[in-house]
Amino acid sequence: MKVAISYPPILNDRGQVAMVSQNRNVQYFKIPTYLLPVVHAQAATWLRDIGCEVRWDDGNAQQKSFDTWYAGLLSWRPDVVVFESTTPVMKFYWALVKRIKGDLPKTLVVMTGYHSMRKPGETMRACAADIILQSNHVDFVLKKLIPYIAEHEDWRETCEIEGLFIRVDESKVRQTGTFKRVEDLNLSPDVDRDLVEWKRYAYENGNYLRTPGTYATSVIRDCTFGKCTFCRYNGPDLTFSIRSVEKSLDECQRLIEDYGVREIFDDSGVWYRGEQARAFARGIIDRGLHKRGCYFGFNTRFAYLDEETIALLAKANFRFVLVGLEAADAETLTRLNKGYLPHQARQNLEIFTRYGLHPHLTIMVGYYWQTAEQLGATVSTVRELMFKGLARTLQVTICTPLDFTPYHKECVANGRLLTEDYNDFDMSKLIVKTPIPHEAYYQAIRDIYGVATDPRFIARQIRFLASGRGRDWEFLFRYGWRALRRVRNHVYNLTSQGRD
Amino acid sequence: MSDKPRHLVQSVRKLTATTFVIRIDRHAFRALAGQHVTLGPHQFAINREFSIYSSPGDPYLEFLIIARPGSETACALHQAKPGDEVDLAGPYGEFFIADPGVRARRYLFVATGVGIAPFHCFVRHFPELDYRLIHGVSRVEDRYDLADYARERYVACVSREEGGDFRGRVTDYLREHPAESDRLCYICGHSAMVANVYDLLRDQGVPSDNLLTETFF
Repeated sequence: MKVAISYPPILNDRGQVAMVSQNRNVQYFKIPTYLLPVVHAQAATWLRDIGCEVRWDDGNAQQKSFDTWYAGLLSWRPDVVVFESTTPVMKFYWALVKRIKGDLPKTLVVMTGYHSMRKPGETMRACAADIILQSNHVDFVLKKLIPYIAEHEDWRETCEIEGLFIRVDESKVRQTGTFKRVEDLNLSPDVDRDLVEWKRYAYENGNYLRTPGTYATSVIRDCTFGKCTFCRYNGPDLTFSIRSVEKSLDECQRLIEDYGVREIFDDSGVWYRGEQARAFARGIIDRGLHKRGCYFGFNTRFAYLDEETIALLAKANFRFVLVGLEAADAETLTRLNKGYLPHQARQNLEIFTRYGLHPHLTIMVGYYWQTAEQLGATVSTVRELMFKGLARTLQVTICTPLDFTPYHKECVANGRLLTEDYNDFDMSKLIVKTPIPHEAYYQAIRDIYGVATDPRFIARQIRFLASGRGRDWEFLFRYGWRALRRVRNHVYNLTSQGRD
Repeated sequence: MSDKPRHLVQSVRKLTATTFVIRIDRHAFRALAGQHVTLGPHQFAINREFSIYSSPGDPYLEFLIIARPGSETACALHQAKPGDEVDLAGPYGEFFIADPGVRARRYLFVATGVGIAPFHCFVRHFPELDYRLIHGVSRVEDRYDLADYARERYVACVSREEGGDFRGRVTDYLREHPAESDRLCYICGHSAMVANVYDLLRDQGVPSDNLLTETFF
């Protein structure tokens, strides 16, 4: 079987490229940011390992135009093409599937991703997709599904692999039951770096202080917490699965020794905590990987990592800690099911920075209930944290209901959505009714990003140099100009449209 | 937050050297049987998720917790004294018996260690429940609050010593005593156990729609 795992270049009318593979959200970026879709990369690796001919077909990272990408796909003539769906690009995909079915009528189209898995009937009606995966374990399902299709002509009627919507004929679609929520991730292979051409993703990514950097094969699939109402990793159909510390350490060692990677980021929704986190750090130290010039980073959440663990992670040369600061008021955090309180954010940041880690805050604005007072608290808190050096970098996004998360459903149920056009869900503008004018949220974004050029922030970075840590020098002199370029891009993306 | 009632510790009941039940004020806190919360000492930097051990009908909230070395939140709660304040958020989760109509069904509960907490809550809240509970523990003493379960419905799989109802792991027990395929099966514990039991029950003919999981970390 010839299987293409495809990410078509999707450009908007401003020449920005959709980052479909970004966990949790999609955004259009002008300055390229290439994010390795880890689970799909594992699927590609696994399919190749069992004998399929696999085309890793990321048109964005391969810097192709849409026409070049499409011509390449047609000439390769796949038996199966796999796409990853998310709300703002659904209309694009439905049109694309129609076109593919016209040009390659025998090619099967498999839709994966959080939008179509939550509304499979909609995608089945809107396009001629053959199969929709309701499982987030794309690798495990494809590894069973593709051989089954190859071996059974009547697969549409007989396939019983769980978690599928299958088009039987023009009028009939059938479902194969609830998918397995928890998989043993040790069974899925590490991403084959050569297959996915890892270097294409190794430089243009704001998470890396040092390059080449790469994403690890995630230790946690989805999220150990899984309750935040705005996040894709939430719902009765989702929980987390976990990979062993040893297997992950082995991969890190290979990445450093065989590929010369200098920063490894694990994009698990929330990384290990407790004993596993400490075992991982100890493993890095025991193998001497903390002295090989490679930084490590991960996503976590406030109220999760204790001081002993953080100290050990710092010793193991962890640097980048990406953590969500969704608001600075308790009411919003409670409504979002964040499971932490404002005081815990500050306490945790104090511990992170005490040990020299570089916290990166991901901030959101624009909740449908967010008042001027709540918004002001977010802005002032973030600015203060940045000026005090309790966080080193940040990004702001507009909270956008997506992929039928609880927040999305809440917006629909409460009549807060201003549009039903999926193209508008691209995080470039507010699409919910809010208690204060939208401009106030855009101004808040400008105020937060304005930190980057504020003398108090710059002075704090200079004071960090006294710590003697090499990473602080690198941060200021190597990363600084790159970050400024990205800040301008983000402010443009988030505040320049939707206010007409 | 100041208008929220303070949750104070009422008692800490030790079950083993490391396992305990902490009881706190309920106030108006409402949750479905089987849900969980985040819990930690007041003003503590971290918290953890714990399934509710008590029944929604109890005038207090209880949590079954194991305080392993290095588990900072659990160890701090282990040391809590009556009158200490804790921070509580939630409830969360969909690991519950949702439809009153399905209470007439037959259930299979599979847990390891303190993963028994939501099942304790089920059994207290729905005394008429037709269930079979397979509980995997290391030692005989880990059969927490054994008297709260109908003895003929509870099977202790003890892996490290004799004295339970079965010597071995829950997966060993299920291989020797396959599940009836019409049971509605709830599995609660660590990720690897949940994945293994799921596969086993599927192989034994339990439809995937009848399998619910809650994973601990």
